[in-house]
Amino acid sequence: MTEIMPGLALQKVDERIMTLNVGPQHPGSGHMRIVVQIDGDYIVACDPDPGYVHRGEEKMAEYRNYILNIPHLERPVIHDSCNVLYPYVLGVEEILGIEVPERAKYVRVIASELNRCIYIMYWLAIYGIFLGHSTMFMWPAGDREFLIDLMEKMTGARVTHAHFVPGGVRNDLPPNFEDVCLRQVNYFEKRIKEYSAVFYDNPILIARTRDTGVLSRQDAIRLGTTGSVLRASGIDYDLRKKEPYDAYDELDIHTNVMKEGDSYARSKIPWLDMLESCNIIRQALQKMPKSGSVRVKLKPNPKGKGDQTVYKRVESGRGSLGCYVVSDGKPEPYRLKLSVPSFRNLIALPYLLKGEKLGNMPSVYWSLNYWPVEADR
Amino acid sequence: MSSDSEKPATDAKPAEKPVTTKPAAKPVVKKPEEIPVELPVFEKGLSDKIAEKFDDKIEIAFVKEDRVRINVSRENVLEVAEFIRDELNFDHVESVSGVDYPQEKEIEVVYHLGSYSDSSLARQILVLATRAQREEDPIPGSDSTKLPSLRNIFYSVEFHEREIFEMFGVFFEGHPDNRRLLLPEDWADLPPLRKDFALKGR
Amino acid sequence: MSVIAPKFKLSEFIKSLLDNVFWIILILNLIGIPAVFMILFAIEMPVINGELLTPFLALTWIADPSRTLPIIQSFMETDMFKVMAFPGFGFAALLAAGTIFVERKMLAKLQLRVGPFYCGKVEGILQLMGDGLKLISKEIIIPAKADKPIFWAAPVIFVAAAASFVALIPVAPGWVVADVDLGLLGVFAVIGFFPIITILSAWSANSKFPFIGGIRALFQMVSFEIPLILSLLGVVILTGSLNLSEIAASQSNFPWIIFLPVGAIVFFITMLAELERIPFDLPEAESEIVAGWLTELSGMMYGLVQLGTYLKLYAFAALFVVLFLGGWNGPMIVPPFPAEIISNGITMGPVTLNIPGLPVFSQEMLNGTLWFVLKTVGVIFFILLPRGVFPRIRIDMLLSLGWTKLIGLAFVNIFIALGLLYAGVLGPGGLQ
Repeated sequence: MTEIMPGLALQKVDERIMTLNVGPQHPGSGHMRIVVQIDGDYIVACDPDPGYVHRGEEKMAEYRNYILNIPHLERPVIHDSCNVLYPYVLGVEEILGIEVPERAKYVRVIASELNRCIYIMYWLAIYGIFLGHSTMFMWPAGDREFLIDLMEKMTGARVTHAHFVPGGVRNDLPPNFEDVCLRQVNYFEKRIKEYSAVFYDNPILIARTRDTGVLSRQDAIRLGTTGSVLRASGIDYDLRKKEPYDAYDELDIHTNVMKEGDSYARSKIPWLDMLESCNIIRQALQKMPKSGSVRVKLKPNPKGKGDQTVYKRVESGRGSLGCYVVSDGKPEPYRLKLSVPSFRNLIALPYLLKGEKLGNMPSVYWSLNYWPVEADR
Repeated sequence: MSSDSEKPATDAKPAEKPVTTKPAAKPVVKKPEEIPVELPVFEKGLSDKIAEKFDDKIEIAFVKEDRVRINVSRENVLEVAEFIRDELNFDHVESVSGVDYPQEKEIEVVYHLGSYSDSSLARQILVLATRAQREEDPIPGSDSTKLPSLRNIFYSVEFHEREIFEMFGVFFEGHPDNRRLLLPEDWADLPPLRKDFALKGR
Repeated sequence: MSVIAPKFKLSEFIKSLLDNVFWIILILNLIGIPAVFMILFAIEMPVINGELLTPFLALTWIADPSRTLPIIQSFMETDMFKVMAFPGFGFAALLAAGTIFVERKMLAKLQLRVGPFYCGKVEGILQLMGDGLKLISKEIIIPAKADKPIFWAAPVIFVAAAASFVALIPVAPGWVVADVDLGLLGVFAVIGFFPIITILSAWSANSKFPFIGGIRALFQMVSFEIPLILSLLGVVILTGSLNLSEIAASQSNFPWIIFLPVGAIVFFITMLAELERIPFDLPEAESEIVAGWLTELSGMMYGLVQLGTYLKLYAFAALFVVLFLGGWNGPMIVPPFPAEIISNGITMGPVTLNIPGLPVFSQEMLNGTLWFVLKTVGVIFFILLPRGVFPRIRIDMLLSLGWTKLIGLAFVNIFIALGLLYAGVLGPGGLQ
């Protein structure tokens, strides 16, 4: 490759190698382009090309004050929006020096877990369709409606809830929410346990994903991967246990870890995480204080004092999401950076796809728990 | 909607640090804080180790709970990063962000380092900040806005540094692949996250 | 943006109507009628009661109730009727359309949804017609550097091959379009055509995704042809004939699947691979290569390929039924036509109506067709089922399956058949 100028390179074409654009207009790629070079059936090199949904969220955040940023910053992952806002809200609370009431912490935990399940179901649906399993597309897409229903009762919106604000949550839970939530979560758990029969014990799935795209433990640490990719390679790291925030230190959480590090493990860990989330929701509903305020009222245009920088992180559906806020005493943040887990896991993609068969590309690519919209911000 | 009965929080930070007692996930037991200037022990230990090795080449910006921040100049950042990786067992980078300070004519690049292999460091994030020079009319890649790349020390910064290159114009020397990542191929304007790139209509 | 005529003049409208009528009458008379006559000269006319039946004669005689049914019956004996309607294209297309509808509904129920619902009053029955109309009205886009003659011809040849496959299958005793002595060999020959057509269509499209899809289709179909042929040899050994009607007739006491279950299973799996059904739908693998070799086909070309695919599905299922499940044999459940009506006619009060030529369909033909359709529908159900259960297989797994495991099983099947024959269990001296 010769470099014409920094950022632009020319490449000579090889006779034997075919360059394929698994591009944005492709049913196997999501909103992203992967340029793969294949030699027969084997992938020789792979160059991911994100940026199709890049909207400049971080730049736009510098023009909005802390409250206006709430509906703005939840757009990277619209159905996991509570988890994307979570580190931002925690960071702003530290800048402004606010203490959140107890009930709000539990409501946040419940909303965060519900969002995690909603996201993982959607991810699982797309994973099924990438492998050609249309039933596995329809079942999760239908079953997540139970949880979206709950979120709609809680926040008023199906996706992009804009529920978390610095100081707590926007509104309290509707009356009778605990019973409805318990019932639906119980039924949801029963439904997702059926997936093991049709998907995870399916011999063709096991033959296709076992021992493909193996990420060893050392490599997972070195590449800086996070979330389910990390836990599938044998590293026990879950921010809800290691650095608990809000009410997580009072709940009993079990981390699911698998040692193989292949695509099958990476596809199974989120499903196990969902079963764990159901337990967490049940515990939180039990331990929640039955009444109390859920929001600390802020003055209009709140500003932090002096120059402060804050980095907070949270375990979202894909991994550890961090938010770095630089404030200089104005109502708008001076710089806001979202460190998203999809972008961090992206580095594993060219690393894993080299030498893989072309048939394994969708299963490896999507098993990295990659959400293209979030990686582009 | 429950009534908000708290007093409205002022926009000034309260006089003392809020007393938080989180359960210790690390072996060191924290002393309850009485004096505001008392620094948390474990993090102080980390910052002391770095300070005693590098003396005056670095500046410890703050030592807070779970966060230690070090400011380094660009000539020494490679050494410091290697020390952090080898002696202190930080093994990956969580995020790399750039902050543009046009008044000081510098662009600050902030690395957040974490550790998966060392369980005592599971909560800690070490914040490593360097500054690059900033020019008024940038030609990304061919002007003086350069920094040494940490890619050979921490492999996980590869895509992050590419993003900083295209968003701020900071060229990373030693990075094998300084190419556009998120921006379209035909972007010919200023690097967008700089402060003098103004959004239309704002 | 469409602009309707700015001013409506009644005289102009009537003028345009008369214009159209004039042209239609002109074309019909000058071109249409001579064309019909020339076609009718070329077709073989049946002979009834010693008279050659021309179209005029047929139309006059049909009005006479005593001669209606014999004319219709003799028409049904002709080749043209057999090709177009009964065991041929019409029957197969009807079953294929039913298959498509049942597939969509069944998959929907498996996946906890409803399926076609709005088109047609009863649960979306007319959905297929709606889809067909949509496909006809779409523009056919050809890639710029494609090889146009081959690209246009490929879907048509595909349907022709599928139709010729359908032509070899016997539905009821005596009802087969092409009664060939080497029928099974003809089936193998036609099956061998399909990979060629697929690769031609894929190659001529001059685009990367069809190219990969075509190569995969070639691999898949070629590597599964051998187990397919081998698995059927067991039946040939036991029957001693390659004629499909004879094979079906030889199962009047018991179907071959009882003695050759291994062959039936191998044939079923290779059938799924030849039909490109899930789990073997690599050539159209949606998430890797967009739509495989079907990528560049649009509009009616795609419609033709779908028609050919479902004709093939019917034909393969029918082949399975004929070879392993007993064809049209089955206990007689159709009641016999009342004998008094044949001899005495229908009596209503003082009037007696004597209609010669009844019954139109003989009892064994109806019974045979009924059993055939039931068995075929059952087999089609089992072909449609894996679509809701399995993900897609990968190409190297497929190749290892076809070249090693299935050939081994097919040979086991042949040995079982030889063993049964030489042990005297079947064939002369044994059962049957």
